[in-house]
Amino acid sequence: MEDLSKSSLNFFADQQLCSADILSPLEVRARIEVSVINFLKILNSPDPAISDLPLINRKSSNSRVSQGLLTDVSWIFLSHSFCTRSLTKSNAAKAFVRVWKVMETCFQILSQEKRVTQRELFYKLLCDSPEYFTSQLQVNRTIQDVIALLHCSRFSLGIVASSRGLVAGRLMLQEPNQEVIDCSACGSSGYSISGDLSLLEKLDLKTDARQHQHLTHGCLQHAIFQRLTEDFVFNQIPSILITAKGYPDIATRFLLHRLNRAFPDLPILALVDWNPAGLAILCTFKFGSIGMGMEAYRYACNVKWLGLRGDDVQLIPEQSLLPLKPRDLQIARSLMSSEILQENYKEELSLMVHNGQRAEVEALYFHGYDYLGKYIAKKIVQADYI
Amino acid sequence: MEVSSVQRLCLHLISAAFQRCRVSEDLCRLSVVLKRSSDSDPSTVRISSILHCAPIELAYDVRAHKHADVALISSTFMKFCHEVIRFFQKILVLKIPVSSTFDSDDVDGFCFEISEEGGVPGSQYRKVFLANECNPVPFSASNVERLKSGLEDYVMKHGNSLHRKCDSCFPNWEHLKVGSGRACCAESHRSAGLQMEVVIIVSEISETSPCFRSSSAETEVLYFKDFSPCPITQSSLTALTNIDWKSYGLVLKSIAVQGGYTALEWENLPPNIHIDMVLHCYHKQYQFTPPGQKTRSNRNLIKKAAKLALEDLKEKHAGAFLSAHALKICSYAPDLARTIAGLILSSNDSEFQEECFSILGLQSQNIINEIVEDSIQQKIISVIQMNDGKPLRSKEAASSFLFEDERLQEPNIQEEEYDAGELVFSSLDF
Repeated sequence: MEDLSKSSLNFFADQQLCSADILSPLEVRARIEVSVINFLKILNSPDPAISDLPLINRKSSNSRVSQGLLTDVSWIFLSHSFCTRSLTKSNAAKAFVRVWKVMETCFQILSQEKRVTQRELFYKLLCDSPEYFTSQLQVNRTIQDVIALLHCSRFSLGIVASSRGLVAGRLMLQEPNQEVIDCSACGSSGYSISGDLSLLEKLDLKTDARQHQHLTHGCLQHAIFQRLTEDFVFNQIPSILITAKGYPDIATRFLLHRLNRAFPDLPILALVDWNPAGLAILCTFKFGSIGMGMEAYRYACNVKWLGLRGDDVQLIPEQSLLPLKPRDLQIARSLMSSEILQENYKEELSLMVHNGQRAEVEALYFHGYDYLGKYIAKKIVQADYI
Repeated sequence: MEVSSVQRLCLHLISAAFQRCRVSEDLCRLSVVLKRSSDSDPSTVRISSILHCAPIELAYDVRAHKHADVALISSTFMKFCHEVIRFFQKILVLKIPVSSTFDSDDVDGFCFEISEEGGVPGSQYRKVFLANECNPVPFSASNVERLKSGLEDYVMKHGNSLHRKCDSCFPNWEHLKVGSGRACCAESHRSAGLQMEVVIIVSEISETSPCFRSSSAETEVLYFKDFSPCPITQSSLTALTNIDWKSYGLVLKSIAVQGGYTALEWENLPPNIHIDMVLHCYHKQYQFTPPGQKTRSNRNLIKKAAKLALEDLKEKHAGAFLSAHALKICSYAPDLARTIAGLILSSNDSEFQEECFSILGLQSQNIINEIVEDSIQQKIISVIQMNDGKPLRSKEAASSFLFEDERLQEPNIQEEEYDAGELVFSSLDF
């Protein structure tokens, strides 16, 4: 049933969707080989040319929204509009060569049946071609270019993005042929989420709280995660806690999605700071992203906004309310203009901007260190989440 | 008569003699004799052209110098002689047909003689200009062919100051890159019949050659109007300034006219490279047109003819006159070639490698890494050179190479980096 809901009932969206396939190393190498052969053919043809590289556009102009018909999950995806990287434009020629260099390196990695992290890849490229690669950001963007060219997922290219995600709480994990890990006994740092998606795919997941009504997943920020974990809040309120320590990476989103599929009756609640960036984090878990739009749509989950919200601001002392920064306002503008954002979220956002203030979840400690647990519990009991 | 007006008259007469030769469409021999006597008789200038009788004699009064030891030709006379010599050097560029054999005991071609009658023996000075010696042009050659040949001679004889081409600088013809262009006014145009010819020569002189000039970043522009050297017109100067030199890898620094000498100065020209240029504007049939009317047509014609000459050069010498844009892109070719070669060679799929080698036209038995890389690099560079200056073509073939997808929409060319404004849902990803 869940597969059906995901796939064939989104007619028009499907046709527009441009997806990065999850492929085996052999299949990815084949795609790279096709690229090389076609490049050479055109170079040696009677009317020779240096082929441009068509890359799927990762801009909001090429993004679409899919509203699930039978499910309540919406997501952002990319459509087929593309831009080209060309050698013939002298100010963009380096970017063109970069794409080929990353393809070459990935090809070699896949041939050796290895995987590398984005950081390792950066160092390799920096040493081999210092005049082309100068920063990690540049490498990451070029990797996204290759994804947009070959239409295959980053992981399929042999690249593992290290994850900063952690999970703790009422969850038993087992890696293949390994011991069972009890995430409620991992200490305050919880279980580190690996960047290796194939490993995450193979994890065996069990929770002991199917009967509990209020077992939840909590998407949190790191400091809160630690606090709640140390206080064993997940024992008082049966839950699984997840944090990405900031903007969510694919691996954390992947795991959340897996947990959602494994335990579909457990609502996913988010506790984020009262500011546009916090809402952006929530939205990324909820809808996916444009930057990795060809892959991220797969891991969208129905996340609900527990807090902090407009009504909670009254709980926060005046001194803890800080002014919004220009970047916060930029993020707010970007979110407001997104068609996928539901009305009540937009209202909350307007309030944020109108008051010009932001607040961190930690500000609730004003009321005592155990206040947070009570706050969460109260909200869950009242089903006060949107 | 003052020197300058005598000079002008003399040059005009020489020019007229050349015109007669040209119009006669027959073999000609032209000689100019400047004679100076040391006694009180005025010196004579005799200009004669065979086939047309009556040599013209011009009396030229020269103050004799009373130097006992050396029969020194007075400086004004010398200056005058130099002017005439210079005039000759230039007009030879037009290569007006002359015979190559003569019965007389005199030499072939133009003969220009300065002699002193009487005076100290051995003070005779004789300068002979030989036409057609190293670079014969058939009698039926067109004007632009003659102009080309004439400028080649001019360059190889260092401005026609030598009798023969300079062997130390030009041991063979390959050091010259020659381009020519011709433009004319349309029949319906007011100035119909107006022709503009431009020849550009790029020469390479080794720094070790004795004739190496360090001032080679300057180009003297020789300007001819109706088969006679003349000072360059303002409209021509404007036209030269407005030519898109950059598309040919040249950067014009300045253009200056001083006393009849027009110089173009270039930026970043390698020291052993020198550029020579000649412009010739003439009417197919003589017609009188008031000067103002010709200006715009002149300007357009020069631009057109010069562009044709530059295109000619570019076409004949692939890779030599690339625009700065093409040069910059070419600089990426080695890295791109190395990357793609690396892809091919690191593969353990022999079918894939075979196919690549076959497309490149390489024998799969003797493959070394460098061969593959060089082959790809050469092809990339030749494509860049071929397409330099041509408008960008859309490359639909490449666009659909991986995914045959009708849903692909119109491509929009992406300039370098991403919008900073695309914050949410995009650039925060890692």
